[in-house]
Amino acid sequence: MGGPAGRFLIRRSPCFLEASFVIGIAAMRANSWRRTLRDPALFATVVTLWALLALFILFPLANLLARTFIEGGHFTLANLGAILRDANHRQAFWNSLLLAALVGLCGTILGFLYAFTAVRANLSRAWITVLDAASLLLLISPPFTSAIAMIFSFGARGLITYHLLGIKGFTVYGLHSTLFSETFTYFPIAYLTLKPILHGIDPNVEDMAFSLGSSRWRVFRTVTLPLTIPGLANAFLLLFAASLADFATPLILAGNSFPVLPTQAYLQITGLFDLKGGAVLSFVLLVPALAVYLLQRFWVSRRYYVTITGKVGAQTAIKSVAPWARAPLLCACLLVAGVILYFYALLFYASVVVALGANHAWTWQHYRVIFTEGLKAIHDTLIIGGAGMPLGGLYGILLGYLVAKKIFPGRQAMEIVSMINYALPGTIVGIAYLIAFNDPPLVLTGTALIIVACYVFRYSPTGIRATVALLQQIDPSIEEASESLGASSGTTFRRITLPLILPAFFAGLGVVFIRSMTAISATIFLVSINWTLITVRILENMTELSLGPAAAFSILVVIIVFVVIILISGLLRRFRAAGVVEMTSILGG
Amino acid sequence: MRFVRSWLCWLTVSLVLACVGGWAAAPAVAADTVNAYSIWPENWARPMFEEFEKATGIKVNFVRFSSGEALARVIAEKNNPRVDVLFGGPVETHAAGIKEGVFESYKPPSFAVLPARFKQPDGQWVAIADDPLVFMTNTKFLKENNLKPPASWGDLLNPAYKNMIQMADARTSGTAVTRIFSILEVYGRDENKAFDYMKKLRPNVQLYTKSGGGGTLPVGLGQAGGGIFFIVDALDTKAKGYDVTISFPKDGIGTSAEAIALIKGAKNPAPGKKLIDWSTSAAMQSLFAKYKINFVPAHPDVKIEASLAEVLKGTKIFPIDDVYAGENRKRIVERWVNEVLNLKD
Repeated sequence: MGGPAGRFLIRRSPCFLEASFVIGIAAMRANSWRRTLRDPALFATVVTLWALLALFILFPLANLLARTFIEGGHFTLANLGAILRDANHRQAFWNSLLLAALVGLCGTILGFLYAFTAVRANLSRAWITVLDAASLLLLISPPFTSAIAMIFSFGARGLITYHLLGIKGFTVYGLHSTLFSETFTYFPIAYLTLKPILHGIDPNVEDMAFSLGSSRWRVFRTVTLPLTIPGLANAFLLLFAASLADFATPLILAGNSFPVLPTQAYLQITGLFDLKGGAVLSFVLLVPALAVYLLQRFWVSRRYYVTITGKVGAQTAIKSVAPWARAPLLCACLLVAGVILYFYALLFYASVVVALGANHAWTWQHYRVIFTEGLKAIHDTLIIGGAGMPLGGLYGILLGYLVAKKIFPGRQAMEIVSMINYALPGTIVGIAYLIAFNDPPLVLTGTALIIVACYVFRYSPTGIRATVALLQQIDPSIEEASESLGASSGTTFRRITLPLILPAFFAGLGVVFIRSMTAISATIFLVSINWTLITVRILENMTELSLGPAAAFSILVVIIVFVVIILISGLLRRFRAAGVVEMTSILGG
Repeated sequence: MRFVRSWLCWLTVSLVLACVGGWAAAPAVAADTVNAYSIWPENWARPMFEEFEKATGIKVNFVRFSSGEALARVIAEKNNPRVDVLFGGPVETHAAGIKEGVFESYKPPSFAVLPARFKQPDGQWVAIADDPLVFMTNTKFLKENNLKPPASWGDLLNPAYKNMIQMADARTSGTAVTRIFSILEVYGRDENKAFDYMKKLRPNVQLYTKSGGGGTLPVGLGQAGGGIFFIVDALDTKAKGYDVTISFPKDGIGTSAEAIALIKGAKNPAPGKKLIDWSTSAAMQSLFAKYKINFVPAHPDVKIEASLAEVLKGTKIFPIDDVYAGENRKRIVERWVNEVLNLKD
């Protein structure tokens, strides 16, 4: 790092987003075995967790790999070769990468614009709330919402393309609209990643550059931007992964000329009933997904910079944005927020008219439909989400507590394994579960458990990370101090450790619940005659004729999730979340 | 540290208990319910099943899938069936299922009176309705482009339809399979000629939709100019208030029987058979008119509803040969994916 800011930089060990463990010295291994065996409770917990991880993460993944690489008891590359030789599948692979890269690029730019405006443009609180609310809305939405709105706005008879601009026969299906829709859906992730980073750059550093005579552009180019580069890379990779895994948007918007892998794998299985082909396609998707995840986690996220100036407290007025630039920046952001609000207004409108586009008479009919015919889906989803919530919360703090505070063999391996389902695109996880639990010895398809397990093991890593981050914040000496002051270990746990873990518990269960309400890519393979989900019904309604109920379901999901978020953030505030577990980390997962 | 230990224990135990609980909570088999995969959309299947419950006291648990998805599930669950009955769906789906050995023969009381094309000789499936394909176009689109409603398959090749036709994807939809076999029949089962036609039609296709009715809404809204759908979906679109025109090709179009089948190894075979008895009877099929379901009844005793008869008057409709279709379905669909769907322009 050159430039005027260089000397003020230090590299920080990344305890903020990631937990790094500097344990694993060979000499300690034997010792840790002995210690674990001497502590039966710890031993039992470790064994139980490993059993669960093996069952719900490693076993399905092993099944997926076996389908891909083993044929008649022998290792073979023939299945993979057959898929790779197929020009259409190759095309889908490159399309997926292209789409992911473009979404990463556009989403990061948009997210940076948003974050920069929010942090540096001296906005009033009200404006920042507007920006936050618009991005929050996107993060808690069920899939398809922006896709539905896109078709209505930009289709051949779209409100915008046809009625407003008078373009005839505009093709909405393809790369352009998928890119647009995914960029809008995922840019809040970039915003949430970049905002704290920009916030962490002390304006004093920029001030120094100004006082040395730099222009605003030069300061932006040589100070602000270089300091955010790791954050930008991180945001890009997160968006890349999100797009790579997205199944719902391309299913609606990509059309036939732009096939992508998750959609192809889904059609291969549900349409042609080719489990093997689906498994192989998922495996092909697994490679870039894993690569991006490892890159993000072990390389980029370790490269955060903070600025230490020695007089952090004395905030000076932020000068990095010229007064004349403030208005255009705000306008650009508000334009984006306006598009988002328009999408949702359209969605709500679709839910209260008889048939959008044909009969605009006001009706509550669609809501009556979802609360009668759709009641089972709502009921099932709430039960599954409700069951997953405490399980996910418990599992998250248990595993987080173990890897952060206990010494036992295979600790780091446990943490890595627990992250696998989170890192993989949902289509892969769903297909792996379907393959693994469809036949004896363990038949789980058709039960609620398989859906709950899928959600818990896929979305608990947010809770795990939050637990680890919280526990790492306290020096063990605090607990030691408490005990040396005469508190029993019980009191210490109750007064010191428990309040610290509770926010992570709520964050963890919050994520599991929210994703139970909104995720579809994995669980679409797992719904059954006994258990169905709102998101699957939305897709069903969309692909059938019933846009009204689909819109009504979507609005319902947004409302439920919004209420739950308010409840959880209330709880978090009560337990003084110490800035680590903010609502952002609930949603970023 | 004793407290922490017990705390760990407590958490672990509750986690395990909850898992076991979730497992045990899976619903058991009940005597007075039947489980079904319905290929009919929910808004038609539900009233039928409610009427069935009224008539027999047997409750139908069902979930709706496109025909390809439903068949895929039935095959996947062959060793451990989750449902007792596959309800509805064009008969090629059932014909393909026979090859996979997923159905159990059952001949309901109506079996004897049904015409031959409405039953599989061994009773592997029995028809509950008949469903012809139609061309459906957006009336405003026709007017704007000075077009007459398409009256032959060739009319759809008109460049005015470029990028404006939506129809179903053969990978997931039975509607699409019926359509492809209709085209094969029109071309005297000359596969090369039929595929030539489909390739020529490809540039006019805006989107192949996942389900058979998927394109009706876009056509109704004018997002697409027209498409090929089952008559039930087309008339339903019209009934919802969309301004669409229904027409038939003079060179003929296929109709597909909608069938029901008992799943081999069904856990509730007795109520499953009752559902088949009732669905193939005049009792159910005379309810179509009441619920505005525009299927053509399969049972000879049920009169076709007057307005539906009016639509069908003077049209050339031929049945799809289910044996030929069942035998060739997989190969034809694969050829369609490779040559038509992925055609590079």
